[in-house]
Amino acid sequence: MSGFSRRGLMGGALAGAVLPACGHAAALIPRRGGAVRVATQSVSTADTLDPAKGALSTDYVRHYMLYSGLTKTGPDMVTRPSLAERIESADRITWHFALRRGVHFHDGAELTSADVVWSLRRHADPALGSKMAGIVKQFAQVTADGRYGVTIRLTGPNADLPVILAQSHFLILRAGATHPDGNGTGPYRLAQFKPGIRTIVTRNADYWVAGRPYLDRIELISIPDEVSRVNALLSGDVQLVNAINPRSTRRVQGSAGHAVLSTPSALYTNLIARQTQLPTGNPHFVAALKHLIDRDLVKRALFRGYATIGNDQPIPPFHRYYNPAVPQTGLDLDRARWHLQRGGLTGVRLPIYASPAAEGSVDMASILQEYGARVGLDLSVTRVPADGYWSTHWMKHPLTFGNTNPRPTADLVFSLFYKSDAAWNESGWQNPRFDQLLLAARAEADEARRRAMYGEMQQLVHDHAGSMIPVFINLIDGHDRRLCGLSPVPAGGMMGYQFAEYAWWNA
Amino acid sequence: MSAGAMRNAAAFVTGLPWAGRIGGGLVAFWLIVAVAGPWVAPHAVGAFVDSETFSPMSGRFWLGSDYLGRDVLSRLLSAARYTVFLGLGAALVACTIGTTLALTAALWSGWVDEVIARAMDTMNSIPSKILALVLVAAAGSSLPLLLVICAVTYVPGNFRIARALAMNLVGLDFVTVARARGESRRYIALHEVLPNMIHPLLADMGLRFVFIVLLLSGLSFLGLGVQPPYADLGSLVRENISGLTEGAPAIFAPALAIASLTVGANLLIDATKQEKA
Amino acid sequence: MSGGAGPAQGGLAGLAPMLARRLASSAVTLVLVTLVIFALANLLPGDAAQEMLGQSATPEQVAALRHQMGLDRPAALRYVGWIAGLVHGDPGQSLVAGMPVREIIAERLPHSLMLAGLTTLVAVPLALIIGMGAAIHRGGWVDRALNIGTLSLVAIPEFLVATLGVLVFSVWLRWLPSIALVSAEATWGETLRSCALPILSLTVVVVAQMARMTRAAIVDQMDRPYVEMARLKGAGTARVVLRHILPNAIGPVVNAMALSLSYLLGGAIIVETIFNFPGLASLMVNAVTSRDMPLLQACAMIFCGAYLMLMLVADVVAIVANPRLRAQ
Repeated sequence: MSGFSRRGLMGGALAGAVLPACGHAAALIPRRGGAVRVATQSVSTADTLDPAKGALSTDYVRHYMLYSGLTKTGPDMVTRPSLAERIESADRITWHFALRRGVHFHDGAELTSADVVWSLRRHADPALGSKMAGIVKQFAQVTADGRYGVTIRLTGPNADLPVILAQSHFLILRAGATHPDGNGTGPYRLAQFKPGIRTIVTRNADYWVAGRPYLDRIELISIPDEVSRVNALLSGDVQLVNAINPRSTRRVQGSAGHAVLSTPSALYTNLIARQTQLPTGNPHFVAALKHLIDRDLVKRALFRGYATIGNDQPIPPFHRYYNPAVPQTGLDLDRARWHLQRGGLTGVRLPIYASPAAEGSVDMASILQEYGARVGLDLSVTRVPADGYWSTHWMKHPLTFGNTNPRPTADLVFSLFYKSDAAWNESGWQNPRFDQLLLAARAEADEARRRAMYGEMQQLVHDHAGSMIPVFINLIDGHDRRLCGLSPVPAGGMMGYQFAEYAWWNA
Repeated sequence: MSAGAMRNAAAFVTGLPWAGRIGGGLVAFWLIVAVAGPWVAPHAVGAFVDSETFSPMSGRFWLGSDYLGRDVLSRLLSAARYTVFLGLGAALVACTIGTTLALTAALWSGWVDEVIARAMDTMNSIPSKILALVLVAAAGSSLPLLLVICAVTYVPGNFRIARALAMNLVGLDFVTVARARGESRRYIALHEVLPNMIHPLLADMGLRFVFIVLLLSGLSFLGLGVQPPYADLGSLVRENISGLTEGAPAIFAPALAIASLTVGANLLIDATKQEKA
Repeated sequence: MSGGAGPAQGGLAGLAPMLARRLASSAVTLVLVTLVIFALANLLPGDAAQEMLGQSATPEQVAALRHQMGLDRPAALRYVGWIAGLVHGDPGQSLVAGMPVREIIAERLPHSLMLAGLTTLVAVPLALIIGMGAAIHRGGWVDRALNIGTLSLVAIPEFLVATLGVLVFSVWLRWLPSIALVSAEATWGETLRSCALPILSLTVVVVAQMARMTRAAIVDQMDRPYVEMARLKGAGTARVVLRHILPNAIGPVVNAMALSLSYLLGGAIIVETIFNFPGLASLMVNAVTSRDMPLLQACAMIFCGAYLMLMLVADVVAIVANPRLRAQ
């Protein structure tokens, strides 16, 4: 186990973080009971009980309440076996999972290899619309190995498989559940599900982890409007909310009964300069843009300090593979002007497409426009609605904004957004050396060599890709002080969407 | 403006009741701000001038700073221009179209009337904010599109009023006489009917203007307003809403601006109606 | 109005052909509306398949899902299919939620109707009282105060009114819930409590216009000769207004009210957003953003139908209440 448990993503810096203020020392022993109402920011009639289709924070929270996975990334960011008891692989191509025995679904059926095989294989069906369709292309074969064993053979070595399988999309369903109805092996049972309105779950007394969970009942709703969400928390109508605007933290902290849970994460909103189009494909243009970004202003004004300065590559400073040797780019109007002149780009007019779909992008675009005007670059802000943004604007114009959620591994974020042939190679850059390193790092078992490879890749992205990452954005939750057991998990808000298993009510 | 017109205007103002004069004053004030505002603004609309956000009124920033540390006064001056001119433009377009259709319906009557009435019902029955949502998603937000959305929303309302007015006039003697004279319907509409309904029509246009200003602020709540870094008054209120609990002038100044503009316009309209009666 | 019984019966008999004519033209309008709605819905960029798969869509997935949803059929065919379904009372299957549109709407429509109904119960009497109060005291300080009051109310952006309401009544005073948690299990008391702020906000939005129209309609009648007559007979102002003026003024008043009330369904979007109210307007916005055309079209048809019905009711009420209109 420890073989890959070290591979937990952003351990170290945050693993030892103390629990937020939660009453007195005596209160630190979790106890059972209590009912809470929780509000997330995303709501849709597309709300689903199908883990494969989970698209929004509400879905992830719901799925982790109802189902369990083969592996599990805990609050310490260490990935451990979960429904699998043991995981073995000699070559990181063929993986054997020995299932835990005596685990039961909510309907009483025992968990067997058939359920696991069925749950993993279904992602390959394009008609399902799985969010993991791209990743499961790495699965050459998924087979049962007796009643309690499963073998996954990959198309190539990947040391990160256990981490990948801990994502909510790979949670295990009962075999044959083509329309999942909440029947899982998770800590809570489904009591009510109304898409776009609410989910109610009750404690699963037969949960296979002894003692957990603690809460008797959770009602999960969505309040998309941020001001309303914070008001609902402060007026006592809900006990936990996610995605608080940094500007609202003062209000939450000012309330005696409430606290803010801020989680530094790898979430970023980036400006994308398409390398396949002009003038954005001109290296001088990209260099000018990188020197036009007032990262301190973005951090201070947009995020009130709830952010980490970025350096135009996707690995944040608190990541175990972060390369501190890459020099930090900063605001430098003279350099920007020089690059524009050298590139013959002075006076260029170009629209920046920004959208509420990419958090903070509209304001970032306004800031860029302001600085651009000072060096003779005529950028105009085109704000477009959030709906349709990803399909009609993102990566389609020379300058657009992207928004990348924390990914469980460095390999995933590099493969999805920076590999030359990736569908979402956002800036459209091509770098053979980078691609080669990516594959080598994926197969590499030696930590030091792997770190060196990821380090070089960060330098390459920083120097050559058309992706400007001003800051990494903190995830901010707000909660009632009586709700205990919460801790920051960089994988996502609300303890990486898994608060339901750990939280308890102290009243 | 000729001397005669000046005298007329002066007589108009002195003839108004006190509420009407206050209303007229407010409207005139905002018109001047809309025209001259951006020239007297101390800072650029998008400039980040304050390292604090939601700072209170001070000698340096008369109306404090907004959620990003921009100067509220400068933004307000620019926003007033968008709100006033968008509102006036849309009201003018809406009333021109609505009244033209109303005159056509009243004078041609029969199936023409029926067709126009059905078309108006259709337009009116689609909720305006949802229409706006669809159109902005389809065409992208722009000033002309905002103008079209606001105008389209208020054409049927104006049509209703104008048609009722025209119908009353069409039955009167002087129209019958004109018809007997053999005047064309077009002539009758423009020279006999329209001049006799221009007063209540202007009042209606003022009312539409007020509605449009409020609709614009509703649209900005849904993120459908003017493109940043520019803003209309409603967008200013919306983007600074988190300053509400801090009592930031960034939210109260634009809210007051909307209120004084719309209340002023209403008072003026009421006063001119009473004037006529 | 005992004397009104005779002509009223004659008028009501004449009401039937008028009703039939209005119903027919409403039907024409509805057909027009289906065309406009369908055209608008098809203007939207992207489709449900792309929106559902989101940022992570692969081309094969989009194609498969599109086929599954029937989005690869030509627009004309989809329109005909939709209309055929509507005629049989079936608005189709939601593309995104994977359930019948009828079920989704059955969940939300009662909420919206309840909110609109309760708001009507508060707003209409309030508007009548304010309007009549202002008219009776025409020109006096009560009239001016009410005038300025209603004007100021309508001059504050709706979302600011709602947010202020939440701050005061939920966050500071903690009297009322900040979000509307309506559900089938809640008692009437709970439902009323959680709807109090949405009702308050909507009332603020619609009451001013209705009150002002009421005042204008009554004032318009006050100078008529029959009012003079009634006054000369010694009737008090309140009595004159209630017994003599109101029946004559009811046409424009009801018309204005119907217009304002039609706003309570489709226009409630801002209030629904702020209070997280699970109503039809937010459902329709959701349908727009997720490109769920059958759901979007069904919602739009409900709003349009409700509007047409309100207008019809307003006309009928005006005719029944006003002897002069009946004679026409």
